[in-house]
Amino acid sequence: MAGPILRTTNLCKDFGPVRVLFDMDFELQPGEIHAVIGENGAGKSTLVKILSGYHQPTEGQVLLRDRPVKFQSTKDAEDAGICMIHQEFNLANDLTVEENIFLGKERRRGLFLDKRYMKEHSREVLASLETDVSPNARVKNLSVSQKQMVEIAKAVSRNADVLIMDEPTAVLTRSEINVLFRLIRSLQAKGVSVIYISHKLDEVKELADTVTVLRDGYKVATQPIGELTEDMMATMMVGREMKDMFPDKDLEPKPDTVLDVRGVTSPGYAVDCSFHLKRQEILGFAGLVGSGRTELMEAIVGLRQRSSGQIEVNGQTASIHAYRDAISRNIVYLSEDRKGKGLLVEKTMGFNLTLLALKQYVRRLGMIDETAEAVSLRKAIEEFEIRAPSNTAVINTLSGGNQQKVALGKIMEVDPEILILDEPTRGIDVGTKQQIYFFIHELAKQGKSIIVISSELPELIGVCQRIIVMRSGHIVGDVSGAAINEEEIMRYAMGIKGGNNNEQQSAG
Amino acid sequence: MSSKAPAETQGASRFTLDFRTLGPFVALALLMILGTMINATFISSANLTNVLTRSAFIGIIAVGATFVISAGGIDLSVGSMAAFISGVMIIAMNHFVNTVGVNWTTVMIGMGLSVALGLAAGLANGLVTTKGRIDSFIVTLGTMGIYRSLVTYLADGGTLSLSFQLRGIYRPVYYGSFLGIPIPLWAFFVVAVIGWIVLNKTRFGRYCLAIGSNADVAAYSAINVDRIRTLTYVVQGLCVAVATIIYVPRLGSASASTGVLWELEAIAAVIIGGTALKGGTSRLWGTVAGAIMLSMIGNILNLTDAISQYLNGAVQGVIIIVAVLVQRSGKGR
Amino acid sequence: MKRVLGILLVLVLAAALFVPGQVLAQDQVTIGVSIPAATHGWTGGVNYWARVTADRLQEQHPNINIVLLTAGSAGEQANDLEDLVAIHNIDALVILPFESDPLTDPVDFVKQSGVFVTVVDRGLAREGIEDIYVAGDNPAMGRVSGEYMVEALGGEGKIVILRGIPTVIDNQRFDAFMEVVDETDIEVLDWAYAYWNRDDGFEVMQDFLARFPEIDAVWAQDDDIALGVIEAVKQAGREDELFIIPGAGMKEVIARVMEGDRLTPVNVLYPPAMIATAMEVTALVFVSDAPFMGTYIIDSPLITPENAERFYFPDSPF
Repeated sequence: MAGPILRTTNLCKDFGPVRVLFDMDFELQPGEIHAVIGENGAGKSTLVKILSGYHQPTEGQVLLRDRPVKFQSTKDAEDAGICMIHQEFNLANDLTVEENIFLGKERRRGLFLDKRYMKEHSREVLASLETDVSPNARVKNLSVSQKQMVEIAKAVSRNADVLIMDEPTAVLTRSEINVLFRLIRSLQAKGVSVIYISHKLDEVKELADTVTVLRDGYKVATQPIGELTEDMMATMMVGREMKDMFPDKDLEPKPDTVLDVRGVTSPGYAVDCSFHLKRQEILGFAGLVGSGRTELMEAIVGLRQRSSGQIEVNGQTASIHAYRDAISRNIVYLSEDRKGKGLLVEKTMGFNLTLLALKQYVRRLGMIDETAEAVSLRKAIEEFEIRAPSNTAVINTLSGGNQQKVALGKIMEVDPEILILDEPTRGIDVGTKQQIYFFIHELAKQGKSIIVISSELPELIGVCQRIIVMRSGHIVGDVSGAAINEEEIMRYAMGIKGGNNNEQQSAG
Repeated sequence: MSSKAPAETQGASRFTLDFRTLGPFVALALLMILGTMINATFISSANLTNVLTRSAFIGIIAVGATFVISAGGIDLSVGSMAAFISGVMIIAMNHFVNTVGVNWTTVMIGMGLSVALGLAAGLANGLVTTKGRIDSFIVTLGTMGIYRSLVTYLADGGTLSLSFQLRGIYRPVYYGSFLGIPIPLWAFFVVAVIGWIVLNKTRFGRYCLAIGSNADVAAYSAINVDRIRTLTYVVQGLCVAVATIIYVPRLGSASASTGVLWELEAIAAVIIGGTALKGGTSRLWGTVAGAIMLSMIGNILNLTDAISQYLNGAVQGVIIIVAVLVQRSGKGR
Repeated sequence: MKRVLGILLVLVLAAALFVPGQVLAQDQVTIGVSIPAATHGWTGGVNYWARVTADRLQEQHPNINIVLLTAGSAGEQANDLEDLVAIHNIDALVILPFESDPLTDPVDFVKQSGVFVTVVDRGLAREGIEDIYVAGDNPAMGRVSGEYMVEALGGEGKIVILRGIPTVIDNQRFDAFMEVVDETDIEVLDWAYAYWNRDDGFEVMQDFLARFPEIDAVWAQDDDIALGVIEAVKQAGREDELFIIPGAGMKEVIARVMEGDRLTPVNVLYPPAMIATAMEVTALVFVSDAPFMGTYIIDSPLITPENAERFYFPDSPF
C-alpha cells in the first residue's frame, strides 16, 4: 500500500478566540478501520468535521492521497469520496427512505427521476444492512434505530472511499450493531477506509484496527488495537485511572414500596404491565429498542394515554392523567430524546433549568424571581460540573454530556422522590457517564427511588439492584442479586425465556 | 460537539441577538430621518401625533399577536374580529341609548360588551385550535370569514353608524388627550407595558416561549400546552377588544370594509419587530416599533409627490423588507 | 320608490290588460342576478336594491323566479355565471360586473347559450354582447363634480383629491373632473387613493391637512371617503376654511345636504338603485310585448339642499 489515503498535518482549529484542535497529525491507511476516541470536548467531532468539509481548518493541511485539499463544503468532500454519517440525524422527516438515500444525488432518466432504479438500489443497500425498513416508509414514522440505519444506508450508497461514522451505535440494539459491524467489515474488504468515533470502548476493541486517542484537543496516541486494553484506552482518554466506573453496590432497598404499578396498558405499546419500586431502590429496565419501556414509563407519568391500570404512590392510589399530576407527587421523568423532548435547544441553560419547576419561582403578582433563578443556575453548574462557555450559553452550543447535566438539573429542580431516567447516558462520554452513575447512586443513598432505562446492559448491571426485562410491550423478566448477568437478561429480552405471559413479573 | 467549539456560535449569536433587539429601532430611526428629509412637516408634533395615534389600533392588536406568534400560532381573524366587535358594539350602544340614555353608562356597556366579545372570540379560536387539533392558520382563516360575514350581515351590507348624540360623549376616547398625549397612545403604551411584563416576567410568558420553541419539550416539562395556547388567543381577543374600543369613536361606524388586512399588518409589525414567525422568541418593543413604522410609511408617502401614488405598494414592500434586513444585518457568516 | 312602484304598476296593469292570455300561458322565467358582494357602502346599496327588487318582482309576477348571487371577486363571479346557466337554467341575466375585462368572455358565453343579458354600471370590454345596458355615467359624475367645484371656488383655489380604487371607473371620473378643472386657475395640490373607504379617507386627509396649510376644497368623490375626510377636518379644526364634494348618494350624506351643512354643500348622484332599474327593465322583457333594448343611462345629477329629498331613502343601508 502506498501511504495513507487521508492525512492531516499540524491541523489547528479555532472557534473565535478558543483553540479546540492543536497540531493534529492524523493518518488513515487505505482499508483500515480507525477508531477515534476521547471524552466530550476532546476534539473528535471537530477533527472529523474538518475532514468531511463541515469546518475549514484554521491552520495546517488536509491531504487526500498526498495531495492537499481544501473542502469548502460537505459536498466537496463527498465528491472527493469522503462521506460522513452524522451523530444527529440529517434526514428529511417528510420524505421517504428512498428519497432520503438519494437526496441531492437523485438519479435521472431524461427529465424525470429514475424512480425504479433508485427504489431497487435503496432496497439493495437496506438489505445489506439486514434491516426491515421499507424504501417507501416516511422517515418520520421510523424508530430512532431505523433512522440510524437509513443514515448509514445513505452514506454507504454514495460509494465513498472514506466513511466517517460519528457514534453510529448510540441508538442501536446489539443485534443491529452486529449487522453494522459485518457491513463495515465487508466495506473494509472492498478497500473502504473507515473512521469510527465511539464512546463504547468494547465496540472499539471489537471492531477497530487502529485507535487514535484525543484529549483536550491534542492527540495523545495512535496505536494498533492489539496493544491496547479497554482500561488502557479509558485511562488515556481521561488522563487518570478509570478502574471504578461504577459505584459500589452498598445500598439495599428499604422495605416500603413507593411506587406500585398494576396492570398498566398503553394501547399499542405496553400491555398489562405491573411492577413495584421500593424506597432507595435503583431498578433497571432492560429490553430491545421498541420493547415498550419508554412508552410504559410515559404512560405511568401521564405523558401518554393509558387505557387501563392503577398506580399507587406511597400506598395511596394516585390519579395521574397529565405529567403535572406526576410532578405534584414528586415523580419525574427524564426523556431519552434529549433534544426533541428534554431541552429547548435554542434557549439558554437557565431558561431550561427552571422550566419544570417554574411555579416555585413565582413571587408577588405572578412575577418570576430572576435572581433566584440565577442562583439555582449557579448551583446547578457547580453541582453537576457543567462546562459551558458562559452562564447564558444556549443549549445547542453545549456538548451532549453537558446538555444531559442540564437536563438532570432540570428534573432535580422539583426535588423529586421518584426518578425515571430514560437512557440517561446516551451519546455522552465516559467521564460524564461515570459522573452520572455516581450521581444516581448518591440519590438512592439520600432515600430516593430510581428507575433506569438503558439499552446498555453493562450499565444496568453496574448500577441497578434489580432489573426488569420487557419484550413486545410485556414485562417478561425480573432479575436481582446473583441472577443479574447479561446472558440471563438477553434470554428474557430475546424471548428465549419468560414467554408472553406475565408470570415472572414482580417477584418481590 | 466539543465543549469549547461553541465559542464561535455563542459569540455570533450574542451579536445577532443585540441586532435583533435593536434592529427595529434603528430601522425606525432611519425611517424618521428619511421622512424628515422628504418633507419637514413630517417631524412636526401635529403630524407625529397623528401617525402615532393611528398606529395604536394595529399596535395594540400586534401586542396580542406577539403572544400568539411567540407560542407558535397565528391569528388571521383579528381584522374581521375587530369589525365584528365594532358592529355589535355600535348596535348595542344605539339600542341602549333608548333605554339607558345618552350618557357614559351606555358607552361603558358598549366597552364591556367589546371586552366580553373579544375574550369569547379569542377563546373560540383557541379551543377549536387546541381541542380540535386543527392548525391555527386554518381555524382563524375560517373565523376570519365568519366574523367578516357577520358584520356584513349586521350592517345589511352597508355601514353601521353610532348614534350622533353618543358620538359626542364617546369622541374624546379617540380625539382627547391626557397630559398632552392622545388617549389612544396612552392605551397603546399601557397595553405594550403590560404585554411586555406578562411575556417576559411571568410564568405564562415563559411558557408561551417554551411552547413556541418546542411544544414537545413543553409537554415534557409538565406545561399544560393546550391551556397556554388557548390563553394566547384569549389575550389576542382582549387586545382586539381594546383596539376596537379606541377605533369606534374615531369614525363612529363599522362596515364590511372595517379592519380589512389588519391581520397582515399586525403580523408584519410583529415580524418587523424581530419576533420569529416560527415561534419561540418575542420582542415586544420591536412589535411596537414595527407597528409605528407601518403607519409611518403610509404617512410619508402621503407627504410627498416625489413618488407616484401608483407605486405606493411597492415602496411599502421595499421598506418592510429593508427593515427586516437591517435587523438581520449583524448575522454575517 | 313610490314613483317607481307607480310606473311599474301601470306597466304591469297594461301588460295584464293587453296580453292577459300570454302572461298566464307563459312558462316560468328565471332571471339570474349577479352582483359584487357588499364590500363597501355603495355595493351594500346595490345588494339592498337587488334584494328588495327581487322580492317585489317575484311577488308581482308569479311566473318570474329570481336567483341572486353575490361574488367576492371577478373569478368568483365567473363561476357564479356558470352555475346560473348550468344549475339554475336561467332565461335572463342581470349582471353588475366586478371588472369589465375579465368578465367579458364569461358573459359572452352566457349570451351564446341563448340567455337575455342585461349589463349594469360597468360596460363589457366588447360591444354587442348585451341586450340591455343600464349604465351609470362615470364621466358625468366627474364632470358635474368639477363644474360645481369651479363654480363654488369662483375659478381659483387650492384643492386635494381623494380617489377610489385604481379601476376604469375611477379613471373615468378623475379624467372628466380634471378636464373641467384644468381650464381654470384651480390648483390640484395632490391626490391619493383612499379606496372608497372611511378609514383611508380619514388617514389620507390627516396627512394632507398636515402637509398643506391652505386647502380650499376637497373632492372626495365618494360618500364613505367623505365621512372619513369630515372627521379629519374636524379634528384639525379647519371646518371653516374648506368644503367637500362627496359622491354617490349615501343617505347620511344626503341628510347632511338637506340640512344645509356647510362642509358638504352638495352631493353628486351615482345611485346603487341602478340595479333595480336594470332588473325591472329585464323583467318587463318577459311580461310585456314592448321592446326593451339598448342603453339606459342613469344620470349623475347634482344633489342640492333643494332637491335632496328626492334622493333620500332612509330604509336603504346606503
